[in-house]
Amino acid sequence: MFFFKYILSELRRRRGRTILTALGLAVGVALVVMVNGLSTGLDNAQATVLKPLTGIGTDMSVSRPLKVTTNGKGGFAALSKSQQEQLRSEVGPGGGVNFASLKAGSKVDTDTFRASGNLTFSATKLTSLSKISDVQAVAGSLTLTDTHISGTVPKIKITQSRTSGGRHGGGGGFGPASGALNGGSLTTASTSVTGVDQTQPTLAAVTPSQITKGSYFTSGGNAYEAIVSTGYANSANLSVGSKITLGGKTFDVIGISSAPLGGTASDIYVKLATLQKVSGYTGQIDTAEVEAASASDVTAVAATISKDFTGSSVTTASDLASRVSGSLTDAKSLSSKLGTALEIIALIAAVLIASLLTLASVAKRTREIGTLKAIGWSRWQVVRQICGEALGQGVAGGVIGVLLGVGGIAAIDALGWTLKATVASPAAAAGGGGGGFFGQAAAAITSGTTAVKINATASIELIAIAVGLAILGGLVSGAIGGLRAARLRPAAALRTVE
Amino acid sequence: MPSTTLEPLPTPTASDLAEGTATLESIYGLSGVTKTYGSGATAVCALDSIDLTVSAGEFLAIVGASGSGKTTLLQLLGALDRPTTGRIELLGRDLTSLGERELTRLRRDTIGFVFQQFNLIPTLSAADNVEVAIATRHESSAQRAERVAELLGSVGLAHRAQHLPSQLSGGEQQRVAIARALANRPAVLLADEPTGNLDTASGSEILELLERLVAEGNQTIVLITHEPRIAEAAQRTISLKDGRILSDTQPGPG
Ligand SMILES: Nc1ncnc2c1ncn2[C@@H]1O[C@H](COP(=O)(O)OP(=O)(O)O)[C@@H](O)[C@H]1O
Ligand SMILES: [Mg+2]
Repeated sequence: MFFFKYILSELRRRRGRTILTALGLAVGVALVVMVNGLSTGLDNAQATVLKPLTGIGTDMSVSRPLKVTTNGKGGFAALSKSQQEQLRSEVGPGGGVNFASLKAGSKVDTDTFRASGNLTFSATKLTSLSKISDVQAVAGSLTLTDTHISGTVPKIKITQSRTSGGRHGGGGGFGPASGALNGGSLTTASTSVTGVDQTQPTLAAVTPSQITKGSYFTSGGNAYEAIVSTGYANSANLSVGSKITLGGKTFDVIGISSAPLGGTASDIYVKLATLQKVSGYTGQIDTAEVEAASASDVTAVAATISKDFTGSSVTTASDLASRVSGSLTDAKSLSSKLGTALEIIALIAAVLIASLLTLASVAKRTREIGTLKAIGWSRWQVVRQICGEALGQGVAGGVIGVLLGVGGIAAIDALGWTLKATVASPAAAAGGGGGGFFGQAAAAITSGTTAVKINATASIELIAIAVGLAILGGLVSGAIGGLRAARLRPAAALRTVE
Repeated sequence: MPSTTLEPLPTPTASDLAEGTATLESIYGLSGVTKTYGSGATAVCALDSIDLTVSAGEFLAIVGASGSGKTTLLQLLGALDRPTTGRIELLGRDLTSLGERELTRLRRDTIGFVFQQFNLIPTLSAADNVEVAIATRHESSAQRAERVAELLGSVGLAHRAQHLPSQLSGGEQQRVAIARALANRPAVLLADEPTGNLDTASGSEILELLERLVAEGNQTIVLITHEPRIAEAAQRTISLKDGRILSDTQPGPG
């Protein structure tokens, strides 16, 4: 077709102009690709930090934390009467170990399970939670601290009485009696165990993606499967295939999970039903993971749960995100604040440059365009010609821009830029010492700093959008140039001298 | 100069003429045509009540001093511009009553234009420059290529078809431009100083080509020239001065 032949001739033979216009658009496109790729990289980095905090699909966690304050009125006494009662019944004196009944010289090997930080509640609550509108899925989990005591009871008279209330926060309540036992040949070990609903792995406290070695829970099968965290596996010298004993039952270690940052870091994960049976916490859970029907429903669902479920605390993914700080967060807020502005400015500048170059080209070709009109080209045909050329430059600009952008992204990745993310524990954020309420920290929310490598990525969608933007830029400049050309009078063919 | 054979070009078709009241003989009929540029104190009267008739097969030369209104007149004849007042009939149709779209069609189908600066598109080959004029016709590219080859052959440039304008001499460029102007078999060929940018030899070539078009194809030509030998070659010469026709030397009978 002649139309294409003419456009190609113009683009090919006026190479300088073509390249200049295409480059103008390309720089804009490349910036969009790079800024977007970088912000995707930052999003991914943040997701990497946040993902272990909850299951992948979890929008919010519902629990009943003990409300502890540090203003002198904290501790057991600060709890409501019903909470005190529940604690007494769950934990009992001596953290559940009846030391008074131990006979000196006798052998002991007991596991005692206690609730950790959160008050437990009946798993039937899951049913009512799932009935709240816009709730997509619910899964329960139970995290307990297992105190394992083994050895021979020393010949020391141990008396332990329940401490009365009124003591300060962190050390209040039932102090574990381990200090008194250190002198003997009894050894105590405290491990945190979480029971997860393996039928809903995306909502679980340990997800299949966290498994670094071995495998995830089988949905049916062996009830005595355990997944251990990397840290615990190292300290307890465990590997896939090892056996561990919990509550007198032998578990097979089937997988090792990566240590999450800021999440509920348990040493051992087992199936929820198994843990409930072994620990005696039959039908009890302490956390409900809730997935909303869509991201926009999260706030409303969280509000409904808080209202309906007295004493509950709902932590949403955005609450978790707000706990992350450090250079990663700074970079993210910078990219969200400045990134969009930079992209818009780059695009406007690119389109402006392309339009000005096209206008300059039209002005320079006044006689040519006048001639086309004088020999019978219609306005539409002239506009189509100018637009077609600009479109060609837009396509070229898009391709060059994507190449530049992808190259820039590769360069960013090659730099191996790492950013720091610090995750604060929610208790610390709340100003309390809840993690230490029971004198233990094993199952507390871990806090700490991690370095995350930024992996900027250019998705196919992003590249398609970028090329689309360049073509759009070409069309805009073509339309501007074309309209100018359409207004040129055919008489210009006889008048303008170059 | 290479000898070339020229195929006879057809005169306006019956259907072209059927719309208007003009006879086969009348191409243009101008009455009281005035063209004023600008307004108020700076107004320039480029043409002042021009009456003119051009018949089919006529070879008409327009002469006159610079600024006398020659180009303005040619623009009006070429439907590139509209007169301020007066009436211009082309093949019996009143140009002043036509819309922009119809004028565009008329320029494409009825008028051929040749320019002093050749006005070829610098990025297109000689063949493509000719094709520009018929690009908008609903013909197959094979049909168009055939027509382009025929036209380039008729101006003696078949062997230069793939050359860019910058690779052609001035005379060759102007012959390509003439081939382009003839592509749609126009009823009239308009030329503004077609030899103005050429040396004497090239100018003679162009003149011979134009003369052949008139002699062999009965082509109607209106051209502007400063060169006496070209004016002499024309059958009729009108002389402009300050926008008025100073003299009109009609061809003598026989
Ligand atoms: N677009 C225009 N605007 C104003 N004045 C013009 C324009 N075109 C031509 N003129 C004036 O009209 C007169 C005739 O010009 P023109 O037709 O170009 O003469 P010629 O071709 O004989 O030299 C001149 O005085 C010229 O300055
Ligand atoms: Mg002139």
